Amino acid sequence: MNAQVCLTPRSEPVQVMKDPLGNSFEFCYQCGLCTASCRTAYAMKYTPRQVMNLLQLGCADEAVASGSGLLCTACYSCTFRCPRGVAVTDMMAAIQRLNLARNQAHRDIRRFYRSFMRTVERHGRFHEVEFLARYFAPNPVLLVEEIRLGLSLLAKGKVNLNPPKMASRKAMAAMFRKAEEIEGRP
Amino acid sequence: MSYVYYPGCSLNGTARECEESIQAVMRALGVKWTELEDWNCCGAAVATGVSYLLSLALPARNLALSERAESDLVTGCSRCYMNLIRSQHYMQHNANLKDNVNAVLAETGVQYSGKARLRHLLDVIINDVGLDVVAERVTRPLDGLQVAAYYGCCQGMWTYAQFDSVEDPTCFDRLLATLGAEVVHYPLKTACCGGTLSMSKREVGSNLIGDLLLAAVAADADCIITACPLCMFNLNSFQNEAGKAKGTKFHIPVLFVTQLMGLAFSLPPKSVGLHRNMVPPDPLYKKIAAGAESSGEAVAAGPK
Repeated sequence: MNAQVCLTPRSEPVQVMKDPLGNSFEFCYQCGLCTASCRTAYAMKYTPRQVMNLLQLGCADEAVASGSGLLCTACYSCTFRCPRGVAVTDMMAAIQRLNLARNQAHRDIRRFYRSFMRTVERHGRFHEVEFLARYFAPNPVLLVEEIRLGLSLLAKGKVNLNPPKMASRKAMAAMFRKAEEIEGRP
Repeated sequence: MSYVYYPGCSLNGTARECEESIQAVMRALGVKWTELEDWNCCGAAVATGVSYLLSLALPARNLALSERAESDLVTGCSRCYMNLIRSQHYMQHNANLKDNVNAVLAETGVQYSGKARLRHLLDVIINDVGLDVVAERVTRPLDGLQVAAYYGCCQGMWTYAQFDSVEDPTCFDRLLATLGAEVVHYPLKTACCGGTLSMSKREVGSNLIGDLLLAAVAADADCIITACPLCMFNLNSFQNEAGKAKGTKFHIPVLFVTQLMGLAFSLPPKSVGLHRNMVPPDPLYKKIAAGAESSGEAVAAGPK
């Protein structure tokens, strides 16, 4: 799927794009309402407004490599408030996707995403225990940090050890394959 | 009105108390529903970082299943709700995208037509059941209890856009006031809790959570009430980390909205999962009992 659609939650589609990043950023006039609305902008190398500017300037690779997209929590405040209808959250997701696909993020973060999606692909539903096993196994230091939380969750009966039983879980894996076939790798 | 209920993945695990309280309270309100058969994960906040198409197709499958059931689809999780409504909205405005999503869905033998009716739990409680019916069910008014109504980001933006104000939603305040609680002024009510950053970027997540807890303490709230399982998990589980980030110590109970409703309905605390809360809600019981006494009501026994 080389055409990606860029939409805002409150308006008609802004434009259909051929670029995998989408191009509603072209409408951005740099007011900074996105950055003002963003709770994680303080920790980003490039704030959402600066990311839009980098994309306008043709410096997408710099925006992708900065890892700023990984700090987006997808709260959609920026997108809802943007006076120009830019789908800022989807842009941030796009640079996040490319960052992960290019292996530019820390391996723990890459494994976080991979472990989640692999678990859903296998079961059709998220299985917390399997996810954590996949996530922690290669870096037990992370496990040590989380052990207290894990034990208290266990004590409160909030850890479901049984894998989810979804009837169509095999078909879910086929869905993942089909999506990749249509979309291609980012 | 017929409903199918989509619990979402976390309600079977770390958000078990949310599920228990939703079921108990909706039963008390006389709402009947069946669980959406064969539902799948909505992709949470992770799928968009891996595949744009999957981030729309995963929620769309649940929408398609609800169309087959010909019932309103009710979600108990705000992130699920947001993903589902995002998928629905994008497909509604783009036929090409909908075709691609349906090509993916064909692998599981379902198709999305566009007829699905998505509902948030709060929407059903407030607009279908009605606050008058909720008020009738209140047997132990929460007099004197000061609560911070935390709407959360997904709800502030996507959810309340459907049935309340985007920037300044108030329906949650009205619901909590119906229970007799005093809703404090909570300026960060629609600020994001950081979502999965509490796991993937701990120092940033802890800082955001700390802001929310600080604001609730500053507002003299006895507890924070949320309607999102992920906010619930973050605000409950990371108070130590948030305290370190802010140079203080937090110990403020955070309850899911239906847990508080359960207390006001005099349901046993265990039946609404209150024994599972990471921050024990015990101080609230005393406060509620004290409030009942001062308002002259006979309370046979505290909720303990």
